[in-house]
Amino acid sequence: MAVDVELSPPAIARIRRLERIWEEPRGVLGWLTTTDHKRIGLLYFFTTLAFFGAGGIEAMLIRTQLAVPNAKVLDPNAYDELFTLHGVTMIFFFIIPMTVGAFGNYLVPLMLGARDMAFPRLNAFSYWLFLGSGVLLYGGFAASSQAPACGWFCYAPLNTAGYSPGHGVDFYALGLIFNGISSTVAAINFIVTIFKLRAPGMSLNRLPLFNYAMLAVSFSLLFALPPLTIDLVFLELQRKLGFHFFDVAHGGDPLLWQHLFWLFGHPEVYIIVLPAFGIATSIIPTFAKRRMLAFPLVALAELLVAFIGFGVWAHHMFATGLATTTLVFFAAASMMVVVPSTIQIFAWLFTVVTGRPEFRAPLLFIGGFIVFFVIGGITGIMFAAIPFDQQTTDTYFVVAHFHFIIFGAAVFPLFGGMYYWFPKVTGRMYHERWAQASFWVTFVGTALTFFPMHIVGLLGMPRRVYTYPSGVGWDSYNLSETVGAYILTGGLLMIFANLAWSRFRGPVAGADPFHGGTLEWTTTSPPPPYNFPVIPEVTSPYPNWDPPDRERDRRRLERGQLVLDAGHETTASTVRDGLLDEILEMPSESWWPLVTAACITAIFAFLLTSHFAIAGIFALTAALAVVGWHWREPEEPEPA
Amino acid sequence: MPPALHLSPGQSSVHPASHASQEISHLWWMMMIAGWIGFALVVFLLTLGWWRRNRANLPFGGGDRAATAWIVGLGVGVPIVLLSALFVWADVFVINSTAAPREGSTRLTVDVIGHDWWWEARYPASGVVTANEIHIPVGTRVAAVVTTGDVIHSFWVPELNRKIDMIPGRRSEILLDAEHAGVFRGQCAEFCGLQHAHMSFLVYADPPDRFRAWLKAQQRPSAAPASALARRGKDVFLSASCADCHTIRGTSADGEVGPDLTHLASRSTLAANTIPNTPSELSDWIRDPQHVKPGNRMPALGLSPDALKAVVAYLDSLR
Amino acid sequence: MSTPSNTVLQSPTGPVATGRVAKPNGLWGMLLFVATEATLFGTIFGTYYYLRFTNAEWPPAGVPLPSVAVPLLLAFVLAATSAPMAVLSRAAQAGELARARAALVAAMVVQAGFFAMQVNLFEDDLAKFQPQGSSYGSIYFTMLGAHQAHVAVGLLLDVWLLGKLARGLTSYRVVAAQSIAFYWHFVNLLALLVVGAQLSVRV
Repeated sequence: MAVDVELSPPAIARIRRLERIWEEPRGVLGWLTTTDHKRIGLLYFFTTLAFFGAGGIEAMLIRTQLAVPNAKVLDPNAYDELFTLHGVTMIFFFIIPMTVGAFGNYLVPLMLGARDMAFPRLNAFSYWLFLGSGVLLYGGFAASSQAPACGWFCYAPLNTAGYSPGHGVDFYALGLIFNGISSTVAAINFIVTIFKLRAPGMSLNRLPLFNYAMLAVSFSLLFALPPLTIDLVFLELQRKLGFHFFDVAHGGDPLLWQHLFWLFGHPEVYIIVLPAFGIATSIIPTFAKRRMLAFPLVALAELLVAFIGFGVWAHHMFATGLATTTLVFFAAASMMVVVPSTIQIFAWLFTVVTGRPEFRAPLLFIGGFIVFFVIGGITGIMFAAIPFDQQTTDTYFVVAHFHFIIFGAAVFPLFGGMYYWFPKVTGRMYHERWAQASFWVTFVGTALTFFPMHIVGLLGMPRRVYTYPSGVGWDSYNLSETVGAYILTGGLLMIFANLAWSRFRGPVAGADPFHGGTLEWTTTSPPPPYNFPVIPEVTSPYPNWDPPDRERDRRRLERGQLVLDAGHETTASTVRDGLLDEILEMPSESWWPLVTAACITAIFAFLLTSHFAIAGIFALTAALAVVGWHWREPEEPEPA
Repeated sequence: MPPALHLSPGQSSVHPASHASQEISHLWWMMMIAGWIGFALVVFLLTLGWWRRNRANLPFGGGDRAATAWIVGLGVGVPIVLLSALFVWADVFVINSTAAPREGSTRLTVDVIGHDWWWEARYPASGVVTANEIHIPVGTRVAAVVTTGDVIHSFWVPELNRKIDMIPGRRSEILLDAEHAGVFRGQCAEFCGLQHAHMSFLVYADPPDRFRAWLKAQQRPSAAPASALARRGKDVFLSASCADCHTIRGTSADGEVGPDLTHLASRSTLAANTIPNTPSELSDWIRDPQHVKPGNRMPALGLSPDALKAVVAYLDSLR
Repeated sequence: MSTPSNTVLQSPTGPVATGRVAKPNGLWGMLLFVATEATLFGTIFGTYYYLRFTNAEWPPAGVPLPSVAVPLLLAFVLAATSAPMAVLSRAAQAGELARARAALVAAMVVQAGFFAMQVNLFEDDLAKFQPQGSSYGSIYFTMLGAHQAHVAVGLLLDVWLLGKLARGLTSYRVVAAQSIAFYWHFVNLLALLVVGAQLSVRV
C-alpha cells in the first residue's frame, strides 16, 4: 500500500496498536532477546562483516608473502594456517551467513508479505549458534595458538593425529559441525517460511525469484551438510578415540574422506552462488525497469542448479586415479549443470537489453558479476574436459576459477545488494558517484588479482605453496596479483566508507527510491517491526508495480481486514497456491534462543578440551532449555 | 640464506614435450578461443544494453517472445551443442592419450614413492634406487608407478603428462614418453604439509645410450672414498646418525627414512630440487637443514666444522 | 478442529480456503528435520557399503559375524511401535485425549525396552570386538550408536509430550503429537535399515 497517503483515525489507531504489540525492549536487552528477523539479519550482517575482515587480512598476508619469490614474511606453518583459515572463514563464517543469514533473513519475510519468519525464536537461535561457533573457533585459535593447517578441505591422512598433531584440526572439525547446526536450522526455517508464510494470492508462480534462490539454497543446505557432518564426526572419532575410517592399514580409505567431503563441497559452491543469482534477479528488473524475461525458466533453473549440483562431486577428484567410467560420468554431469546457469545469464542479459537500464551502482555491480561469472563459468566448463582438469587441478588455474566465482560472482552481487537495499534498511541514500567509483576500483582490483592466476597456473604453479622459486616464470604474475589485491582492498574500503558515512549523513530516502517491484518497497524505510500495517494481497511477482492492489491494501487497512492488530500475528498460506489458510500467533522476544545456544556452545567447548562429562552436563542443560523454550504455547489459531 | 635456484627446466602445461601433454595443450588453446568468443558475446550484450539504454526492445524488433527465443537458443541450444562436442573430444578421445598405459605397452617402469617432502625412485628391473631425479630414455614409453609412504602427494610433470595422485594403499600408473631430450620439472601437486612448496623433482629425458650409461652407473655400488678427507667423511657418516636414515649401497648405511645417497653426486639438486647440488650448498644443508627447508624431517647433527667438511668431501665423491 | 476442505471461497479480500488445508508449520519443520537426518543416515549406510566393497575381508578375520535372531526381532518390535504412534497422531487430531495418552504410553514402554536391550547388545558386541580394531568395527559401532542416539532423543520427546498431554489437548500439542509420531516412523524405518546393513554381511 502507498505509505505516504493520509490515513483515517481508525487506521492510524490500528497502526499504533501494531506498534505497541511488535515493539521490542530498548537497548542491549532488546538485541539479546530479539526475534525480529530484521534485527537478526542485521546481527548476522555485522558479525559476518567482521569475519570478512578477518578472512581479508588472512588473504592480504598470503598475497604479501607471495609477492616475490622466496619471501620470508611468513614461515611455512603460519602460511599454512592462514590459507586454511582464509578458506574456512570466508566460506563458513562470511559468505553463507551473509547471504542466508543477513540478506535472506532481512528480505525473505518482507518479500513474502509476512511479518516474520515461520519460527522466529529458531531464527535467533541460528544466529547465536553461528556466533558461538565463530567465537569458539577463533577464540580457540587465539587461546591455544593452534589453528588447522591442512587446508579448508583438510584431506586424509594429513588430517589424522599423526600428521596433524595438536588441537588445530579438532577446532576445525568440531567448529564446523557446530556451525552446520546453525545453517541446518536456518535452512528449515527458510523453507517453512517460503512454503507457508506467503501473502494471500502469492502462488508459487508469483514467488519473487530471490525467494526461489533462497529455497534452492535451503534445500541444498539440508542435504549437503550431513555428509560433511558425518565426515567430520568420523575424523574426530579417528583422532580422539582411535577409530579407523581413513587409514589403509585397518581397512579404511583416504578417498572416503574426499567422497564425503565433496558430496558436501560441491553443493556448497552452489549454495554460495545461488543467493547471488537471487540478488541479481532482484536488481535487474528494478534498474532495467521491466519484468525479468523467462521468469519460469529462471525459477526452474535456480532449482535445477541446486539439484544437479548434487551429482557432480567427484569432479574434484579427477586426479585421484578413479576408474575412467567414473570420471566420464561425473564430467557429463558437470556439463549438464552448466545449462541452467547459461539460461539465467542470457535471461539477465536480454532483460537488460530489452529494458531501459539505468546503470546506477547496484546494476554496475551486477554487470561486474556477469563478467566475472562468465569467465569463472567458462573455466569451470574447461574442468569438465578431464585431461585438462588433470593438468590444472591443484594449480593456480583452479584458484583463479573459484575466486572468479566466489569473489566475482558471489560477492559482487552482495555489494550491489548492499547498495540496493541500503536505503530500505537505513532510510538514507548512499552517495551515488562514490559508489560507482568504488565499483570500478573493486572491479579492476578483482581482475588484476585473480586473472593472472590463470596464467601462472598454466605455467605450472601449484596451489598452497608458501613460496616459489624465481626463474620458473611465475614472478611477475604473482607481483601483479599482490598489487591487484591491494587495489581490491582499496575498493572494498571505499564501499564500506560510503555505506558508513551515508548511514549518518546520507540524504533521507523514501520508501521506494528505485521503484523496485517486490513487496519490501511498499513499506517504510526502514520497515516498522511489523513490516506491513496490513497483510498485502498479491496478484503478480512484482506487487509494487500493481497500484490497484496496493490501493486495495489501503482500503483493507481502513476496514481492518487482515491488519491482525489483536495480537502478535501473521498469516499462513497453502503451499502451492498461496491461499490464506490460518492466522498464526508468533512468539515475541525471548531469552531461550540465546540460553540454548550458550549451552550448546559450552558442549562444543568442553568436547574440544576433552572434558566429556562436563559436555554431557551441558547437553542436559541444553535439553532443559529446549523444554523451557516450548513451555508457553501460542494461542489457539483462528480460522481465516 | 640459500641462493635462489635458477632453473631452465620448465613446468608449463602449455609447453608440451610429449604426445599426451600436446593433446592437452591443444585442447586448452581451443577451449580458450571458444571461451573468449563466448565472453565477447556476453560483453557485447552488456554493451548493447548500455548503448540502447533508452530503447526498450531488441535491436531488430521483436518483443518478449523473440527475446525468450534468444534466451533458450543461446542458453540451452548453443551450450548443449558445444558441450557435447567438448565432451566427445576431451572425455572420449583425448582421455585415451592421458589414461594409464595398458599392461605391457611400456618398455620401462619406474616406481615413485612420495614422502614428506622428497621423491623415492626405484627402477625394479635394474635394482636402481635414487631420489628426486628420474632419468628416462627419449622416445620410449615409460610407466611411472606411483604411491606414497605417508600422506597424499601428487606426481606431476606438466610438460610430459597430467598429474596423478599418490594415495596410501594404491598404486597408480602414468605414462612418461618424452618426444625430445631435455630436463623437465615436476612438483608435488597435493598439499602435503609444511614443505609442500619445496617438493619438486627433475625428469631427465636422455638419448638412449646416455640413459643406458646412467643406469649402469647407478647400478654400481657406491664409490670407495679416494682421498683421506673423504675417508674421514665416510667414517663420520657411519658414526654420526646419518646411516640411521640414509642408505649408501656398498657400505653399512641402510637407513630408509631419507633419500638413498649412493650416487648423490650424480644428481644436480638437493632437498627435492630446492637447492643446487654444490659442495657449499650441501655443506649449508647438512649444517642446518631446518634453515633451508624449515619443518623437514632431517635434524641438524651438530657436526664440527672439520667433520662437516669431511662428510661433504665424501658425499661429493659419490658419483 | 476445523474440517479440512479445499473449497475456495470468493470474498472481498480475495481467495480464501476454508479450514486449515496445509500441513501445520511445526509438522513441516519436523519433516525437513527428518529429511536432513535421513541424509545423515544415508551417508552412514553409504560409508558402510563403500568400506565393505573396498575391503577384501568383511568382517575382518577375528571379528564374529553379527547374530541374526535377537537384533532382527528387536528391530521389528521397534518398528511395530509405529502402530501406536499412528494411533496417537490420529487420536490427537480427533481430540481423543485419553486414547492418545494410552497409545503414547504403550509405544514408550516398548521403545524404552528396545533402547535398554540394544544397549545390552551393544555392550556384548564391544566385548567381542572394538571399533579401534578395524574399519568394520568403526562403522558398525558408529552406525548402531547413531541410531541409538536417535532412539534416545525420541524417548525424550515422548516424555516431554506425555508431560504436555497430562495437562490437556491444544492445537499446539496436536501438532507436537503428529510431529513426534512422524519422527518415530523415521526412527523405526531406520531400525530396519540398520539391522539390514548389520546383517548384510551374512548374505
